Amino acid sequence: MWDLLARSLEASTVFVFAALGELVNQRAGTLNVGLEGLMLFGGTAAFIAARLTASYLAALAAAVAVGTVLGLAHGFFSITLRGDQVVSGMGLWILSFGLTTYLGSPFTGPLGLPRMAGAFGLSPFVYAGVALVVVSAVVLFRTGAGLAIRSVGENPLAAEASGVPVGLTRYLCVVWGGVLGALGGAVYTLSYNPVWTYNFLMGWGFVSLALVFFSMWNPWILLAGATLFGIMWQLSLSPELVLPGVLSRYIWRTVPFAVTIPILVVISTPWFRSRWGLARPEALGRPFAPD
Amino acid sequence: MIVGRYQVALQPRQTRSASSAALAALLAIALALVLASALFASSEAGVLAGYRVVFSYAFFNPHGAAATAHRAVYLLLCTYAFLLPLRAGLWNIGLPGQVYAGALAAFAVPLALGMSREAAGGWPPGVVIALMALAAAASGAAVGSLAGALRARLQVNEILVTMMLNSILFWLVSFMIKEGGPLMGATAEGESFTLPAALRAPLVAGLPVTAALGAAGALLIDPVLARTALGYRIRAFGENPQAARYGGISPLALSLLVFAVGGASAGLAGYHTFAAIPGLYKIPGNYGFYGDLSFYGLITALIARGSALAAVPIAVLLAGLSLGARFAQGMLRLPFGVDYALLGLLMMTFVASHILDRFRVVWRRVPAGVLRPAAGTRRG
Repeated sequence: MWDLLARSLEASTVFVFAALGELVNQRAGTLNVGLEGLMLFGGTAAFIAARLTASYLAALAAAVAVGTVLGLAHGFFSITLRGDQVVSGMGLWILSFGLTTYLGSPFTGPLGLPRMAGAFGLSPFVYAGVALVVVSAVVLFRTGAGLAIRSVGENPLAAEASGVPVGLTRYLCVVWGGVLGALGGAVYTLSYNPVWTYNFLMGWGFVSLALVFFSMWNPWILLAGATLFGIMWQLSLSPELVLPGVLSRYIWRTVPFAVTIPILVVISTPWFRSRWGLARPEALGRPFAPD
Repeated sequence: MIVGRYQVALQPRQTRSASSAALAALLAIALALVLASALFASSEAGVLAGYRVVFSYAFFNPHGAAATAHRAVYLLLCTYAFLLPLRAGLWNIGLPGQVYAGALAAFAVPLALGMSREAAGGWPPGVVIALMALAAAASGAAVGSLAGALRARLQVNEILVTMMLNSILFWLVSFMIKEGGPLMGATAEGESFTLPAALRAPLVAGLPVTAALGAAGALLIDPVLARTALGYRIRAFGENPQAARYGGISPLALSLLVFAVGGASAGLAGYHTFAAIPGLYKIPGNYGFYGDLSFYGLITALIARGSALAAVPIAVLLAGLSLGARFAQGMLRLPFGVDYALLGLLMMTFVASHILDRFRVVWRRVPAGVLRPAAGTRRG
C-alpha cells in the first residue's frame, strides 16, 4: 500500500512542478496552453542529457535551459508582440510534440541510471515540489514581489501607474512557468518513469493546465488537487490493486480525463463563479496595451 | 532596434490584404522546408537528395501519389473540423478524438446490424456503407457538440475539454479493438476486424467516395461563410462574441452548430482513413499515428487563414510532405519522426509568419547626431 502511495506522490510531483509554474505565469496575466509542450521538451532534453553525460545535474540544467528558451519565445509573442496567447501556446505544444519525437527517437528506451533516492523511499523531487509550493505561496501572498505579480495579472494599468514594470514582471513569470513546466517533464523522465517513448506524456500537460483552473490560482489548493490527481492517476494505471477484475484496464485509463471534465463544469457554474470566480486573474490572456 | 543608421521597428497593420496573407502562408511553408533540411543534412545522401526522395515518392511514384491523394482527403476533412469552429473564435483541438469516434461508430454498424465479421449478409451493402458513414459523422458530431455546448453554456475552456476527450477516445479505441474488445479481429492481434470486401467504400477513379466530401467542403464552406446570414453570424461571433450576443445571435446554437459540423467532418475523416482507403479497411494497433496526423489539419487551417479553398493545395502539399518524409526516413535511415518534426517546424514558422501578417517592419533613418555619443562638456 505504501508503494502505491509513494508512486502516487511521485506522480503528484510531476503535476505540482508543471502546474505551479503555469499558476505563477497566469497570476501575472499570461496564459500558456502549451504546457504539455514545455513538459515534452523539458523531459526529452533532460533524458537525452542524462543519457549522454550520466549526470542528473546536467539533465536538470538542460531542462532549465529549454524551459527558459521556450518561456522567452512565448513571452516574445504574447507580451512583446501582443499576439494571441492561444496561438502561441498551441505553437509551442505542436512544435515540441513534433521535434521531440524526432530528437528523442534515437534514445528510445530506459534511462539506465541509478534512481535518485530520498527520505522514506521518495525521490528528492517530491520534497522539492512541496518546498516550491510553500515558497510560491509565501512569495505570492506575503511579499512585495508577489503583490507586483498579482497586480499585473489583475490590473496592469494600475500596476504600471504604481511603478511596477508590467512587461518585465510578465516576462519573468512566463520564463519561470517555462522552467517549471520543463522541470515537470524532467521529473517524469528522470524519476517517475525513466523510459523515453514517443509522445510519452499523453495528456499530463493538459491535466496540469486544468489543475491550475481547479486550484483557483492558489498554490495550497493546487498541492491538494495535484495529490488527489496523482493518486487517481496511479490507480488508473494499476486498478487491480483496488478493484481486481472490474472493468478493462483501458477503461480505467480514461478515468483521470473523464473526471476532469465534470470538475471543469462545476467550477464553471454560475454558483461557483459567483462564490469563487473572483480568484481568476482579471487580465488573464489579455495583452497589455497601455496606448 | 538600431541597425547601422536605421531604427527597425514592428508596427501593427491597420488593414490586412489577401496578398500579405498569401505571402505569409508561402513564407511559412518555405521556411519550414528550409529548417527541415537540417533533418536530411544528417543523412549521407544530403539535403537535395533527401528532398528529391520526398517529392518524387509523394507526387511522382504511382503508389506514393495515390497515398498522397488519400491522405490529402483525410487532412482536408480534419481541416474543416478545425476551421469552422475557428471562424467562430473557438478552438477544436479534439480532432484525434473525433476521428476515433467516427471510426468506432463506423465499424460498429455492421455488428449492430447482426452481420458477421467475415462476410456481409442480410443487408444491401450500399445501405450499410451509407449507414457507416452516417454513424461516423453522427459520432464525431456528438463528441464535438459536447465541447461546444459546455463552452457556450458555461464558458468551459473548449481546449481542455477537447483534449480530455482525445485521451478518453484514445483509450476507448484500445478497449474496443484489443484484449477481447467488441470490435477485435479474429486473429486477436490487437486490431479491429477487417471490413468484408462488400462493405468497403466504392472507388471512383481510384479515390473513395469520401473524396467528394473533401471537394464539396472546399467549394461550399467559403461561400457559405462569406455570403449567407449563417456565415455572417459565425464570423460576427468569432470577431466579437459580446456584440454578436447583443445583436441577437445565440451563442449556444452557434457553438453547437460549428462544433457539431466540425466534429462530423472529423468523424468522416475517421471513416475515410480506416474504412475507405484501399489497403487498410480496419482500425490497426497503431491507430494513434493516424490520430496524431489529424493535427496537420489544424496547421492547414491556420496557414490557409480559415479559407477552405486555400486549404486544398496546402493539404495536398502537407499530405505529400508527411508521406514523403516517412518514406525518406526509411530509405535514408533517418531517426523516426521526420514527418512529426516537419509538423512542429510548420507550426513554428506559422507563428512567425503570423507576426508578419499582423505587423509591418518599419525602417526609420536615425539622424547622425543621435547615433554619435555626446561629447563630454568641460567645466571652465
